[in-house]
Amino acid sequence: MTGDSARPAVETRGISKAFGGVAALDAVDFEVRWSEVHALVGENGAGKTTLCNILAGIYRADAGQVIVDGTERDFRSPAHAIDAGIGMVHQHFRLVEPMTVAENIHLGWPETPGVVSQRTLNERTEQFMGEMGLRVDPTAKIWQLSVGEQQRVEILRVLARGARVLILDEPTAVLTAKEAEDLFAVVRELAAGGLSVIFITHKLREVLAVSDRLTVLRHGIREITRPTEGATASEIARLMTGEERVLNVEHRVVTGDPALELRGVSALNDRGITALHDVDLTVRSGEILGIAGVSGNGQTELAEVICALRGLESGAITVDGADITSMSVRAVTDIGVGHIPEDRIGMGMVLSAPVKDNAVLHSYWTEQFSQGLNLNRQSVIDFAKKLVETARVQTRSVFATAGQLSGGNQQRLVARREALAADRLLVAAHPTRGLDVNAAQEVRSTILDKRDSGCAVLLISDDLDEVLLMSDRIAVIYEGRIMGVFDAADADREHIGLLMGGHSITEAA
Amino acid sequence: MTPLASIASAVLSVTPWRLERRLEVDAKRAALTRIGGAVGAMVVVGILLLLTGRNAFLIFWQALDAIFGRQRGIEGVALRGIPILMTALGVALSLRMKVWNIGSDGQFLMGALAAVGVGIHMDGPGWLVLILMAAAATLAGAAWILVPALARAYWDVNEIITTLLLNFVALQLVTWSALGFWRDKEAAVIQSTREVPFTLPGLPGANSVTIALLVPLAIAAVLWWVFRSTSIGYEIDIIGGNPRAAGFAGIAVRRRILIVMLFTGAIAGLGGMLQLSAPGAQAMNAGFSAQFGLSGFIVAALAGAAFWGVIGGGLFIASMFYAGIVLQTKGLSVYIIFAIYGVILTGIALGEIAARYRVVRRDSADESGTAAGQAASAPQGAGS
Repeated sequence: MTGDSARPAVETRGISKAFGGVAALDAVDFEVRWSEVHALVGENGAGKTTLCNILAGIYRADAGQVIVDGTERDFRSPAHAIDAGIGMVHQHFRLVEPMTVAENIHLGWPETPGVVSQRTLNERTEQFMGEMGLRVDPTAKIWQLSVGEQQRVEILRVLARGARVLILDEPTAVLTAKEAEDLFAVVRELAAGGLSVIFITHKLREVLAVSDRLTVLRHGIREITRPTEGATASEIARLMTGEERVLNVEHRVVTGDPALELRGVSALNDRGITALHDVDLTVRSGEILGIAGVSGNGQTELAEVICALRGLESGAITVDGADITSMSVRAVTDIGVGHIPEDRIGMGMVLSAPVKDNAVLHSYWTEQFSQGLNLNRQSVIDFAKKLVETARVQTRSVFATAGQLSGGNQQRLVARREALAADRLLVAAHPTRGLDVNAAQEVRSTILDKRDSGCAVLLISDDLDEVLLMSDRIAVIYEGRIMGVFDAADADREHIGLLMGGHSITEAA
Repeated sequence: MTPLASIASAVLSVTPWRLERRLEVDAKRAALTRIGGAVGAMVVVGILLLLTGRNAFLIFWQALDAIFGRQRGIEGVALRGIPILMTALGVALSLRMKVWNIGSDGQFLMGALAAVGVGIHMDGPGWLVLILMAAAATLAGAAWILVPALARAYWDVNEIITTLLLNFVALQLVTWSALGFWRDKEAAVIQSTREVPFTLPGLPGANSVTIALLVPLAIAAVLWWVFRSTSIGYEIDIIGGNPRAAGFAGIAVRRRILIVMLFTGAIAGLGGMLQLSAPGAQAMNAGFSAQFGLSGFIVAALAGAAFWGVIGGGLFIASMFYAGIVLQTKGLSVYIIFAIYGVILTGIALGEIAARYRVVRRDSADESGTAAGQAASAPQGAGS
């Protein structure tokens, strides 16, 4: 069923794509052969998903060619891509939960018979699963399945539509270790059957375990394509993270009493799975502790437990020696903890409310604004005007809704607001994500000013360059565990890259 | 998108145009488009009446004269307005928090029922009994929404269904009281409860309107102040805008939801007592509430949960209903009158959509729904 094995299954030549003037991909050449598992590797924002979205017809490239099995193609929709045999399984599944596996596979499939019984659907599904060597109970409802099984249904759905090139976007992000092992076996088998699989990941162990060849993207540029055989984790890590060196930030070694201390902290994520395992951390006044790690390894939960937005399973948290483990959000804010949340828009602002109301979201109850029941309108407006000015937020007036601000201005507003609220500790989660260079610099200097004024800063970022640039000390987090803590002076990029990918210190050495 | 806008957008989906949200809702434009919608609807009604061979101008004149031409008309509008205003204010308060209390009819009925119970069983000076009636009605209204409020606040149970269904339970309780335990055994003709022997004092110069009319005005004033100048109003608006941000700001979201829902029920319940203490309405029967809750809901939704808008909109709808009754006595069929109500409300609703959205031609670039399409549409809208 596959094409001429001498021709590549899919090839791109000089693909470029920009979003809002920021280049996501810059003249990328990429090639996937038949019967191979090709790992597409890179940090967050390296352009992996963008490249695959172009292959799958979700985005159109600004420049460059997509060649499928020898024919140049111009996909205008995912339907065009699937007609050409390219199908993508997204990180977030697109299944109809109350319907059965068989129904989901047949939904919107041109080959589904017009009049059909439940039994025929199940039989057809059984037969197709047999051909593919992938099994799920066809009569089960989607919500009854585990995440790994749901993913299998997604893969079957894509294969049923004739995909010969299967793109898996960070497929293991949602899986348990056992489920991931099963997936690797499935992927290997599909490739052995003649299909091509593009496997997007940033976990080095997976690259080595599953792929035949690998391509590393970094800041939208292809760094290398090579056979996996003979590649080492440290080499890939170095290519992923680059060799950039840091300018203009003086790193310090701070001694003295800790401002923030975590002792044996464990916590669950929203799905009830342990996201933090026995975490010990210390941040001193006047220093930035950077948390390096790939997104989804417990960083969100870490920020939330410190700011009292998430309960602990065990352990204790102190700020300036005072136990805040069971304090309310407000009490924690009142002792001087500011929080630039990861999800600025979903959590840090109210888009339908005016800028002035957003300006005081984390302080409206303080004496500066509230006397008893009365919320002093004039002082809120004055404060908001000052905040907008110092944070250089571009808005018509403080009465405009926050939703009218551009993304960068929303971020500046939240960052400055939280920096003002933070007297003792600032928790900054991915503070420059999605910002252009200038806005990112402004947010960074806000954070550095905070440090210089004696505030403790916990900086969480999945951009290793940023962590290395800003931090006085660096802690690496992987699957909810702290893998190691380093002074900035001793920090070795390659070593940290390995730890971020789950290789322990002994393995790395 | 509001339900109204979703429907409009579905209708437009077969045309080359589509709805686009305005970045900014200008209060002046919103008022103009709503009034424009009502006026446009009147024109449509007039044309329909003319087409069916009726004298539209005479009918409009009769309606206006019935309302504004005599004191009886103005008082009639006020009397009909009070229960609508009370339920509408309760609903408007809940809408500020994006909670949909569809059960104000039930809360209204339970308030009235509690007031009847106090009124027919208590002896004492009239003013004291009336105050106790008001207190009982307020508590009963709050109690009637207690279970939906707890379920919504602590277990995320959809309040639309629970509050709606309790309306029917309340109606059955009223019927039972009128037919059974509080039945007026002397009056054999109408099945109703016994009559409460007290009424609220009349407004100076009025024949039938009591000081009850001042209550919704006072509540609107208080609510307006709460949302303009207090931290409680701020917190409720934040919860309505983004509950996650409210949690981030340390607001006890669940407790606030519970308390605000109890208040919405209490206001509707007090409305029941006000209705009951008007002269001539001092007993309850199955027809006690002419679906005031439903009218109140329409008013609150159309006024966009702005409290002075609720007062204006409530009085408008009350005058529309009053005019409808007068026109019935002049020989216009009840079906035509209902159709007119429908056309006018639809007109106002379209005006409401026009305040928030504008119609633009769909161009091919935006149809793909990609990030690029959304980014391209963002800078528009400021121009109009």
